[in-house]
Amino acid sequence: MKRTCQILIALCLPLLFCGQAKAQHSGPYVGAFFGGNALMSAKSTDSQGNFGLTYKPGLQESAVIGWDFEPGNPVGEGRIELEYTHRSNQLDRVKFTDGSFTGGGKVTADSLLVNFFGVFHDKRSWSPYVGVGLGAARMEASDLIVTGEPLASGSNVVFAYQFGTGIDYALTKHWSIDLGYRFFGSLRPEFTESNGKKFKMDYYSHNAVLGLRFGF
Amino acid sequence: MRNLLWSGFLIMMVLSGCGWDGTPTRPNDFTKLTSLEIVANSPTIAALTSTKLTVKGNFSGIFTRDITDQVTWSTDSPTVAGFTNTAIPNAVTGHIPGTAVLTATVGNISNTFSLTVSNATVTALAITPATPSVPKGLTQQFAVTGTFSDLSTQDVTLDATWASSITTVATVSDAAGSKGLAQSLAIGSTQISATFGGISDTTSMTVTAPVLQSIAVSTTTPSLLSLTSGTFQANGVYSDGTSVDVTSQVTWSSANTAIATITATGGTATALSEGTTSISATYGGVTGSASLKVTGGHLTGITASAATTTMIKGTSSALTATGKFSNGTSRDITGIVAWSVANTNIATVTSPAGNLVWLNTSSTTSGTTTVTASYSTLSSTIDLTVTDLGVASIAISSGTMDLTVGTAARLNVIATLTDNSTQDVTANSTWTTTDATIASVDNTLSATIGRVNGVAAGSATITATYGGSNITSLVTVKTRTVQSLTINAVFGTTVATGGQLQMRATATYTDGTTQDVTESATWSIDTPSIAILITSPYQTGLAVLPKLVMGVGTGTATLSATFGGKTQTTTITVQ
Repeated sequence: MKRTCQILIALCLPLLFCGQAKAQHSGPYVGAFFGGNALMSAKSTDSQGNFGLTYKPGLQESAVIGWDFEPGNPVGEGRIELEYTHRSNQLDRVKFTDGSFTGGGKVTADSLLVNFFGVFHDKRSWSPYVGVGLGAARMEASDLIVTGEPLASGSNVVFAYQFGTGIDYALTKHWSIDLGYRFFGSLRPEFTESNGKKFKMDYYSHNAVLGLRFGF
Repeated sequence: MRNLLWSGFLIMMVLSGCGWDGTPTRPNDFTKLTSLEIVANSPTIAALTSTKLTVKGNFSGIFTRDITDQVTWSTDSPTVAGFTNTAIPNAVTGHIPGTAVLTATVGNISNTFSLTVSNATVTALAITPATPSVPKGLTQQFAVTGTFSDLSTQDVTLDATWASSITTVATVSDAAGSKGLAQSLAIGSTQISATFGGISDTTSMTVTAPVLQSIAVSTTTPSLLSLTSGTFQANGVYSDGTSVDVTSQVTWSSANTAIATITATGGTATALSEGTTSISATYGGVTGSASLKVTGGHLTGITASAATTTMIKGTSSALTATGKFSNGTSRDITGIVAWSVANTNIATVTSPAGNLVWLNTSSTTSGTTTVTASYSTLSSTIDLTVTDLGVASIAISSGTMDLTVGTAARLNVIATLTDNSTQDVTANSTWTTTDATIASVDNTLSATIGRVNGVAAGSATITATYGGSNITSLVTVKTRTVQSLTINAVFGTTVATGGQLQMRATATYTDGTTQDVTESATWSIDTPSIAILITSPYQTGLAVLPKLVMGVGTGTATLSATFGGKTQTTTITVQ
């Protein structure tokens, strides 16, 4: 992840020296995002104790529909949007008291969040933003295995949230690109082990996204 | 804007290092068990001896784990060897010479082990450890190794008969599940013996004085206001289960001396600034600790004051220091600060007790000096003038006084100097009464000097003498019955931690009269961790001093006042 951060920083540095801004958009917009996510090592708990699940980095895709606030409105400069995101990560390792073992299967999160982003406009073309999103996510454990044996499966809808920051770059009055970071988390989803027991696991992920927005 | 951007990246980098890195507590029972391995100390044991077997499970060739406790045991020749020790299911006992095939089964996985029972006989035994010393209250596990006729050796702890020669000193278990386990009971020595096959061995076990196992630290004041003190106690728990007060023997320490300090001996902690620290007691390499929470902020300023800054020679006046704290509260710290006088030929400071501090002027030397109250790096100074002026007259605060039996009120004497200025000389007056059985008066230099106490119905004359002049007050003491009692919160009932509230109690009698009985009532608070009662600083000019309540921790507490058989309560809220 540190490597990812360094790459992001390097990518964003040139934006510090961008030229004058295009006209600021206000009104409705749609957008699509694509990126990668790193699902953090998850503490999982069942009636026998705790065990760890480690996932491989995965891809994510998002679609947003929202509204850019007009400059000078009483709410402040920024935007509100509805975001659907699909995240998927392969189970890499499972850590028990006996050691760390090869895992398999995947965990997917389909989230629907309402995002509020504050955008810091100035005379430049790029505008940093920060924000928060609240909503729900459908978590699904698809055929999780350990050492080739069934581990767990099932699905769960849980409260989800995210914190986001990034940079908008206005290409034209209507088009802009967005390079951002999201920290996505949820309440612990519950899945069913192959032995019938229930277990809960943490779900927190770091996400780097690149998106394109079109304002009407 | 750039700072904002970099802050975002910084947060991202910090978060990228997160994730669960704890220690698992759950075993892997998802991977299939595919085989078992039975492990024994030796494939051969002598007849009438036992040995423990262990089983290592192999899970799909990926990992192994000891699963002895999950195994079901069986034997094909119970007459040769069998699992007859119900207390230790994995112990197999050889009965007669021969060979037995032992089977361990877990689920549908099993394995066998061929055990040979020999006809060797024991020729010698050796107990280990030899001649151990065991602190009273602790246990010692003994083992015994047998040497056999075929020169083999074998642990026969499970098969020997164990005994102690003096069971009041120590016992040794001969029970199936705990053979050879000695329990020390009293200081002394005993012989521990193991007998097997007609052969015995003994060893001496010495039980020594109990050793300290742990220290329990406790306090009645787990929450202290800054600049106040509390005591901690340490109880040592010894190996024989006894608990001994070791408060004076331990070495005390505070984990964070900026929050609270504690004397290395004695266990008196002084709270300094808001926060939580751990108070530890160490003795003989053993440490115990307890948490101490300090409330009320830290001291940020001191304001020193005196009842008057121009004083006649040879008089006393009360000094007061008020501390200002970082949480916005102020409270009396008169008894906590260090007082000093620049020129002690002109005046001195005496601190009889608590928060009462007297400034005493010289009876012979006049002039100016400064009086300083200091704490740590903070201080406050009073400019004092000791004047040569004489006293023109004196006056008493009340020429008549109406008291109820069992109540008290204060009289004050004011001296008018030749320049028409005045000074309270209550503390320097001599107080007498014509009849102490009716009304007594306090005449010692203390916080109650000049206070008149109604003793019995009747009348008495109180006389105050200062500088050769007398002045009197006629006191009438009556017997009255309390009809009701009320608590008056002068500044409300809500206070911040470290702040003070003034309370007064007023009695209404059946004859329709009322009286401030604050100093005569009995006050209490039900939750001292929330609020405490403190003594009001000595003040001149008041007939009755208020009762002070100080907030210690957030929450609510009930304040009670009782007088004349009546009790009144009010709720104190500390925020």
